[in-house]
Amino acid sequence: MNQPLRTIAVGFDGSPSAELAVRWSFALARQLDARVVLVHAVGLLQRLEGADAPERFLESVHRLADEVGFDRRRLGWHVTDGDACSVLLRATDEPIGADLLVVGSRGQGVHAGLMLGSTSLQLAERATIPLVIVPAGRDAD
Amino acid sequence: MLIMNGPVDDAGHEDPGHPERPDRLRAVVSGVEDLHLGDDLTLVEPYTATRAELTRVHEGSYLDELGAFCYEGGGNIDEDTYATYDSWSLAQYAAGAGLAVVEEMRRHDGAVGFIATRPPGHHALRDRAMGFCLLNNIAVTAAALTGEGERVLILDWDVHHGNGTQSIFWNDPNVLYVSTHQWPLYPGSGGAREIGGPDALGLTVNLPLPAGATGDVVRQALDQVASPVVDQFDPTWVLVSAGYDAHRLDPLAELALSGGDFAALAAMAAGFAPRPGRLAFFLEGGYDLSALRGSVAATLGAVVGSDFRPEEPTTGGLGVDEVHRAQSERGVALRIALGSDPGEDFL
Repeated sequence: MNQPLRTIAVGFDGSPSAELAVRWSFALARQLDARVVLVHAVGLLQRLEGADAPERFLESVHRLADEVGFDRRRLGWHVTDGDACSVLLRATDEPIGADLLVVGSRGQGVHAGLMLGSTSLQLAERATIPLVIVPAGRDAD
Repeated sequence: MLIMNGPVDDAGHEDPGHPERPDRLRAVVSGVEDLHLGDDLTLVEPYTATRAELTRVHEGSYLDELGAFCYEGGGNIDEDTYATYDSWSLAQYAAGAGLAVVEEMRRHDGAVGFIATRPPGHHALRDRAMGFCLLNNIAVTAAALTGEGERVLILDWDVHHGNGTQSIFWNDPNVLYVSTHQWPLYPGSGGAREIGGPDALGLTVNLPLPAGATGDVVRQALDQVASPVVDQFDPTWVLVSAGYDAHRLDPLAELALSGGDFAALAAMAAGFAPRPGRLAFFLEGGYDLSALRGSVAATLGAVVGSDFRPEEPTTGGLGVDEVHRAQSERGVALRIALGSDPGEDFL
């Protein structure tokens, strides 16, 4: 694979695990001069939290970018309805056109140790582009 | 006559604060009681779907994993979906209920079936739980029927697209899947250009509607786009994924239907059936308890001859343009897939 890596899609649900994945992606994107698109899946229950719930996530994303000095102009934010796995799989298509997927090892509220519902493991089975799973406890060094 | 699955204690499938909760079934049962059917209501014994019946639509490895997960106490499967220790057995009851109801329907001329179970099913994929759903209940019954040589129409009027059901029967020429749903909305699938796999081109009919669409628009979508396909498919059974979260009071979505609209939709579903005795409704979503109770009563009252008077049907909402667009996009997708004019009937 010799094509330059231009767009990194990162699953973001506001969890500490997702924040680690975002930090790791920012670090890689700076090295490669790539764009980072944070992808947020709006599930069934999030509809109960009100229409502005994704915007609250965007604020924390901007805070993360500022903390590590990542240029916001190279940062995209994509909110769409669906489960996290399906939404991230579709990130390879336009308008995102990702050529790398990055996720944390464990999403918001999901049972620790559960193989069944692990977005990262499901993506590992189904992704058609390279996937990075950032383990908990690792920083973006 | 109404044939309905008998009750099982579903209290064990609950996550405090979650909208998919045992109170839903109590509301549904109250809705049935509001019809005062007396001897015209028959309850069938609870039936647990066998592994052979489940593996027609689910991967065996997924069933093993789900069963083991529940046995270990359960937890959150994804952001929306939970399971408990009791969920595996309750999901097997939910998946088996349609089989038992259909078997009983065959002993009574002209009976209507109603499968009131939880957890719901239409988001469940072959190998994955999602969207509150563990096993795809309606798919288990549809697959059993097609195994007997039947042609099954699945009409899904839940406010969310039934991605699991669509996926399971995507390339099955013996199942016609028709869905009306709000779009954009979870699960993100259900575009009009999704028309079925190579062996079943045209046998997936998606009718995405905008927030604010009323019942007249849903009926127009079915009349204008789905009816010609149903006529050509000529189903021998009609199964309905009867979700009630398209009701205007539902907290999870923004369609604007009333109980009276579900009565009208039920009458349309009965019209799609080849003859009495070939129509069964499967409970899917619906999270406002009063809307759920009234809408269930309206649905069943419309097809069993009850004098139940539901809310008035709704009119004048958004979505007429989207119906025309869906018809056009579906036609384009069919032309591309077939490489020729598919003919009026398929459009």
